[in-house]
Amino acid sequence: MMSRKPITRRDFLKVASVGPLAGVLVPAAARTGRSPLPRQAEEKVRVVLVRDPSPLGPGGAPPAEVVQRMLDDAVRALLGERDAVKAWKTLVRAEDVVGIKTNAWRYIPTTPEVEQAIKRRVMDAGVTEDRIAIDDQGVLRNPVFQKATALVNARPMRSHHWSGVGSLIKNYIMFVPRPADYHGDTCADLATLWDLPAVKGKTRLNVLVMFTPLFHGVGPHHYAKEYTWEYKGLIVSRDPVAADATGLRIIQAKRREFFGDDRPLQMTPHHIQLADTRHHLGVSDPNRIELVKLGFEEGILI
Amino acid sequence: MKRVVVYAAVLALLGGLVLMTEPIVPDFQKLASFIPPTIGPYVSEADQTFDAETIFDYIDGAGEVYRSYNMKILVARRFHKDGKPDIVVDLFDMGSPEDAFGVFTHDLDGEDAEVGQGSNYKAGLLSFWKDRYFLSVYAEEETAETKGLVFELGRRIDGAIPGRGETPDLLRHLPAEGLDTGRVRFFHNHSVLNYHFFVADTNILLLDQKTDAVLADYGSKDDRSKVLMVAYEDGGSAAKAGVSFARAYMPEAAEKGIVKTENGKWTAVRVNDRYVVIVFDMIAERTAAARLDAVVALMNGRADRMQEE
Repeated sequence: MMSRKPITRRDFLKVASVGPLAGVLVPAAARTGRSPLPRQAEEKVRVVLVRDPSPLGPGGAPPAEVVQRMLDDAVRALLGERDAVKAWKTLVRAEDVVGIKTNAWRYIPTTPEVEQAIKRRVMDAGVTEDRIAIDDQGVLRNPVFQKATALVNARPMRSHHWSGVGSLIKNYIMFVPRPADYHGDTCADLATLWDLPAVKGKTRLNVLVMFTPLFHGVGPHHYAKEYTWEYKGLIVSRDPVAADATGLRIIQAKRREFFGDDRPLQMTPHHIQLADTRHHLGVSDPNRIELVKLGFEEGILI
Repeated sequence: MKRVVVYAAVLALLGGLVLMTEPIVPDFQKLASFIPPTIGPYVSEADQTFDAETIFDYIDGAGEVYRSYNMKILVARRFHKDGKPDIVVDLFDMGSPEDAFGVFTHDLDGEDAEVGQGSNYKAGLLSFWKDRYFLSVYAEEETAETKGLVFELGRRIDGAIPGRGETPDLLRHLPAEGLDTGRVRFFHNHSVLNYHFFVADTNILLLDQKTDAVLADYGSKDDRSKVLMVAYEDGGSAAKAGVSFARAYMPEAAEKGIVKTENGKWTAVRVNDRYVVIVFDMIAERTAAARLDAVVALMNGRADRMQEE
């Protein structure tokens, strides 16, 4: 059997001038033999970025009512509905059992404000509270998640010591008993998590929290407050790959701004690109993403 | 009587050998004993302990970094004072000084903190290695007070660890001229190599947990080049890896082992005994060959001395 040609540093050098995502895009495109050029004829995927200038609270989130408004605005814009509850009713049905997959990382969690804003709208869509659960590390043992017919995926984006960035795609790693089984090639194939029976076809909405993203990490915990900033945003999409690719562009722009050069992430976040080109979970190419921007633009970086 | 003496001598010798070859057993209690229970006004919470299997419960996928350096155990101790940022000590027993040094070199950014056998400090984080231990002391928010306590903790733990360790032997093959001594990394596997310097998306150098590798920077920021040395188990493995690298990385010049790459600089590879040596981003063909010669000369000189001994 012929093995494929490896992608080497020299391939990277050939395309280094293509742009800031070259290091991510080109190797992944070459792996699959697909062209990295945009497929213009295909429909674009919508991603909504909403930002609000309100001060953040001690937990790193804007006030609850502001978060609710941000989420509502984003979901309305995403689905083209004037009314937020009506929009949510197209996402979840009253008879659904809904798991809200959150992220409880000590330093930058999803935040209760985001969790509760999602839960409130799921309930407004007719789902009773006993059929809704919010969980992260306990999803495999959670009876609601075990019976879930719908999932809402919400987590912050941060740089990550092994996968490049902690992403929406990666947030489902708690649906396996041994997350380390997905660490190979620096988490290249995380998108396969989305084929697990507990997950497949159930995700109705993805919310990438960008209130205080981490753009660089140090030490065993890969965290230093110095490398976070108040971006005050949410990225919302039906497509987790498109949302992650958008968040990644912001993280990379912040790194360029902070470090003064195009410093690559410590680990290549190629799992986002491969989620598109290898696993067909969604769209990572910015040219195929329709980015809708809401709210204040200062320091938007994208 | 004579026979008894001989038996006794043999037994003593065997006992000595047993003692000499006794494997190092990671010991949570011993590790924890290096960390003071209090620091300034802070008191510690109950220790958390992890091994190479459970480390993911503590630091998620970042645990792969420590596993890639063959970590044995970790004791984590959190220091708390109401109204102040917590300080966290993570003390790893890496099983060998080489791997303690290696994991320290994984992140070399920061200022020299003059603690242990090599240290740095940045953004509230003090890291150092000593003997077979790697230590991280981290303040969740950097203030003048927490910075002082982080350093005090580091110095006290440094003082409590009795031994010192040797750096990996491979480092002695690095030519001194032009070497940036603050940018020398030791590691084993392909993922860590790519973390520091992307070579290829697949493992074209056939690295694994048994290979030892050093990646060193030479020159200044405007004229940066690198030396990568890998030690394999035997010459056959090295030869195979050398061919694998040359075919994948310089297919148009695999036989010659040197090529001008797309950035106008030179990459060259050579196999010497059980080692593969590669130089990247050399400014000229001549200097690439000269750098390889210098590394090989150090290797062979050392090998010759060892044979004489």
